[in-house]
Amino acid sequence: MIAYVRNIQDACASIFDGMAVTFSHLFRRPITVQYPDRIPRRIQETLPDRTRGHLEVDLDICISCRACEKACPIECIVIEDVRIPKDSVAGVDGKETARVKEPTRFDINLYKCMYCGLCVEPCPTGAIRFTKEFEGATDDLSRLHLRFVTPERREVVLRKGEGYEREQAEKARKKAEAAAKPEGGKQVDPPAAGEESKEGDKE
Amino acid sequence: MSPPSLDRFRSRLAGTIREEPNPFGDAVFRAEPSDLRDVLRSLRDEHGFDLLLDVTAVDHLELPDSKPRFDVVYILRPSVGSERVRVQCRPPDEDLSLETVSDLWKAANWAEREVYDQYGVRFRNHPNLKRILNHKDFVGHPLRKDYDIKKQQWLSEPDDLMDEMRKLRGGAEGEESESVLLNIGPSHPAMHGALRALVDLEGETVRHTVPEIGYLHRGFEKSAEKGTYTHVIPFTDRLNYCSSVMNNVGYCRTIEKMLGIEPTPRAQTIRVVLLELGRIMDHLVSVAANLVDVGALTNYWYLFNERERIYDVIEALCGARLTHCYVRIGGLAHDLHAGFEEGVEGILRELPKALADVERLVARNRIFLDRVVGVGAITAEEAISHGFTGPCLRACGVPNDLRKDEPYYGYDGYDWNVIVGTRGDTYDRIWVRMEEMRESMRIVAQAMKKMPGGPVDVDDKRVSLPPKTEVYGNIEALMNHFMIIMEGIKPPAGECYGSIEAANGELGFFVVSDGTGKPYKVKVRPPCFYVFSAFPRLTEGGMIQDLIATLGSLNIIAGELDR
Repeated sequence: MIAYVRNIQDACASIFDGMAVTFSHLFRRPITVQYPDRIPRRIQETLPDRTRGHLEVDLDICISCRACEKACPIECIVIEDVRIPKDSVAGVDGKETARVKEPTRFDINLYKCMYCGLCVEPCPTGAIRFTKEFEGATDDLSRLHLRFVTPERREVVLRKGEGYEREQAEKARKKAEAAAKPEGGKQVDPPAAGEESKEGDKE
Repeated sequence: MSPPSLDRFRSRLAGTIREEPNPFGDAVFRAEPSDLRDVLRSLRDEHGFDLLLDVTAVDHLELPDSKPRFDVVYILRPSVGSERVRVQCRPPDEDLSLETVSDLWKAANWAEREVYDQYGVRFRNHPNLKRILNHKDFVGHPLRKDYDIKKQQWLSEPDDLMDEMRKLRGGAEGEESESVLLNIGPSHPAMHGALRALVDLEGETVRHTVPEIGYLHRGFEKSAEKGTYTHVIPFTDRLNYCSSVMNNVGYCRTIEKMLGIEPTPRAQTIRVVLLELGRIMDHLVSVAANLVDVGALTNYWYLFNERERIYDVIEALCGARLTHCYVRIGGLAHDLHAGFEEGVEGILRELPKALADVERLVARNRIFLDRVVGVGAITAEEAISHGFTGPCLRACGVPNDLRKDEPYYGYDGYDWNVIVGTRGDTYDRIWVRMEEMRESMRIVAQAMKKMPGGPVDVDDKRVSLPPKTEVYGNIEALMNHFMIIMEGIKPPAGECYGSIEAANGELGFFVVSDGTGKPYKVKVRPPCFYVFSAFPRLTEGGMIQDLIATLGSLNIIAGELDR
């Protein structure tokens, strides 16, 4: 009998307990925000620095080493490139690094991308990086297929590539000429071979 | 029974069973197919290895010793204790079958079905040897090395599960007019993911339950064989997506074990903090969703507010809210960010308030108590036989916790308790999780206090990328950088099982390396696979609404269940 009464007492008390808790939440600050409007700033601006949003590529410092392509677990990065005459770019911390290739195609398939960040880590110059943009909803999938090399840029790079071809052809011609002259051959050969292997390492 | 001891087993079985040397220090015994059952029974009954963790197979087709082709692996451990033993057995190629052990351990029932499904090894006298993860009409065995990963099959007919249901109902079809068949799931809000249970109802009482899984099977293990060891990390995020950082740690720890690497003290402590935050997140989801299942909706918001707070901290740390992909082999993706400490302090300050609110709402609530006390109860012996680990086993009163049994990352240096229940029912499972969150908070507070300085990546050329400044400066660092990216990390050849105490129980990874940069095999031991295998046992005889309450308390995460 006592247990029965206590049960009823408990049941009633728990109702008031519950109401008290719920009531106290009326006066707490809500944790949710009104997305996407009715917030003072765009949500992207409020995201932390490490946010893994859509990827972007700075082609001016990309050396086309393909580390990102290889690091991607699901092959959503596609790169095609050509050899160009050796120049240098300013990478992380503005440090100079040599460039012997430049992409003629750099595509990222954002609708396959899982934003894991494995491609950003190995990039030696910091060319591929995350933005804070995340709103990718679209009715047209091709808009998520990012092509970073524009047709105009591609033309420029291809011309550079042709320049490299000419340079090589010139070199080969000179080499052949030098080889024809028996006394000059040994002096020209070693530096050329040295440069080749160094470039080979960097690929 | 005397405490589990491998030494005793070694001396007892000397001569009849061969111990194989293992490069990673695991105890591996090789049994002949004819002795297999005796060996396993003796391990269980006489030596205390009563918990069958996992059964899997290795396809040796591309390894040097390809005859016989398949190697079936049984992983055992005592329900309380640290030793672990693997028994391996090669069925002959012409027959490709072994005697079942599903009568010794109930866990073996589903485990053997999975081996059959993925590798085509048959188990004689198995009560129900049919596919489990793949579709019933699937042709071939996907984890065999000669099954092409790109191969596609068109499968459209759903399984009506009547073959199993008919067996359970028994008798002629006509006699069953009293009972009603009801499909719950696969797409049902109360089923917590794409799970399906076909139930046979008499009134509101569940007479038989036939669960079907595999709706979220995406071939994690096959995908893992495709890329490098690092490529697997983002895939592990998607196993238990409520606490993805725990899967990251579990996987990376196994690979580190193979490489013989111990993470730096700072990395270890950060991992402990994240593991415990992950456990809290997971338990918050589980408890909140379970309370919704029994009709206590408001708690969901109070608990999810706190989960949101943890997500904010983790987002600032690694850049993503759900799929963290934060742990790397040999270290972490980043060091802690400025403001992490304040974030964690905020969590530790606010979470107890939310837990207190929830406790006040439900602890004495008659409706809640009537819905959960004594519902879906299971005894400790049965739970162990089913392969339960984690909170579900602890709710039965077994203090099984890898953090205590086999302390890693300095867990033995923290002051905390293992929470155990008494009845093994839904109420205990909820309350074990509630109290575990409090214990996790204690660990987080202690870990934050002692957070050591130093680097987060180990100084090991085999796994860690050299600093960017060096990549420019010296050719050796450049070569090293590109070797790790292009060829991947290369653990020595061999087989290794590593595990951690994840939110749902023991999360194990059985990894086979052939010495190249690609994993030869990665097998996950998902804790909720075995927990869910007991679902018919937990629900049969109860009411249909109890089935929903029980399911919520098991915390089945389809991502890790189906892989």
